[in-house]
Amino acid sequence: MTDLAVDVLIGAGLLALAWQTIIGKSLFRGIVLFVVFGLTMALAWARMGAPDLALAEAAIGAGVTGALMLVAFRRLVRIRPEQSAQPALRRSRLALPVAVLAGSLVAVIGLAVVAVERDPAVAGQAVAQALTDSGLGNPITGVLLLYRNLDTLLEVAVLLAAFLAARTVFGEDEARSPTPSRREVPLVGALLAIIVPLTILIATHLLLAGSREPGGAFQAGAVLAASGVLLVLAGRLQPAAGLSSWPALGLTLGLMLFSLIGLAVMAFGAPLLALPGLWAVYLIETAMMLSIAMTLVLLFAGASGLRRGSP
Amino acid sequence: MSTTEVLAAALLLAGGLFYLAGTVGLLRFPDVYSRLHALTKADNLGLLLVCSGLSLLAGSWRAAALLGTIWLLGLLAATVSAHLIARHARARHFNGGEQ
Repeated sequence: MTDLAVDVLIGAGLLALAWQTIIGKSLFRGIVLFVVFGLTMALAWARMGAPDLALAEAAIGAGVTGALMLVAFRRLVRIRPEQSAQPALRRSRLALPVAVLAGSLVAVIGLAVVAVERDPAVAGQAVAQALTDSGLGNPITGVLLLYRNLDTLLEVAVLLAAFLAARTVFGEDEARSPTPSRREVPLVGALLAIIVPLTILIATHLLLAGSREPGGAFQAGAVLAASGVLLVLAGRLQPAAGLSSWPALGLTLGLMLFSLIGLAVMAFGAPLLALPGLWAVYLIETAMMLSIAMTLVLLFAGASGLRRGSP
Repeated sequence: MSTTEVLAAALLLAGGLFYLAGTVGLLRFPDVYSRLHALTKADNLGLLLVCSGLSLLAGSWRAAALLGTIWLLGLLAATVSAHLIARHARARHFNGGEQ
């Protein structure tokens, strides 16, 4: 009974938050509500027994996306103050048809999934056996790296493409304009001294735990990016123009290492992207974590490089 | 209900009360500073009470230590953000901006 009440509360809260996010009176309000929506969604995933998704939603959906939206809003206020005060929603004649179309698509897919007759003897047991053989205790990480490794590789490629696209949009002028210098508040230094090492510790834990428990490169990368975002906000890291060597290496490390290992195994007669062992999984996941974190921090800084700022 | 459960329920209820009071304060108080005052009480003491209640229910030292860590981190984040908001409001006030 209590469980049902909590579920209904979360479900109704999600709908109300989604509605308020879209029709919000101002863009800023919409962004804040979007973050609250992401956190509530994480709660919903956790209750449905999907801690991997809950972690990803909280770290990426609410945390990093919220930070990116807020920094975009700050730029909008600076460039077009009149536009930032407008309500988030633009009424369009297309809205209703699109909503009906999307709704019916979801309904059809949902019905099709429910109608599928499952044969428990085939895929499920084969996957479970393969996961036991590989030594990956977390089924999500296992399936992602054993069966969907092309998807995972392309996700990293998409992130890189997104960064390159953003880079052409924000251009180099934006990066060159120095961030407004502010005197550092005493408490912020203390916060950074505690939070940044702790964040690195948590990211490493998520990465290593990802093979057995909820976690993995995407969650770890997002958590690591959070400490980078804090450092940029505090002015310890300043956006810099031009792509210098170490951010460029960080950006591409995941894609390069994954592709390299994926191709190299073909020389030994294995199929493309068939990972040779657990060591390769850890290596690739570490590289992917670094690349994801670097991409997100650079997107937040709105620059293609970073340099050390004065503390 | 055992004594532990009664104690945990009392702590959770007290914590909920602090959150309620903090939220009412946030909505009803007139300016930034008094709103922060209301909010930080919920963040500090409310979270402590909820975490203590949950540790009693969890009944393991590991869970209690984790909840304690969560409280300390929440405390740290709440302190610094409240400080930054108050500082920003004060700077705006002295620069002649609107409150």
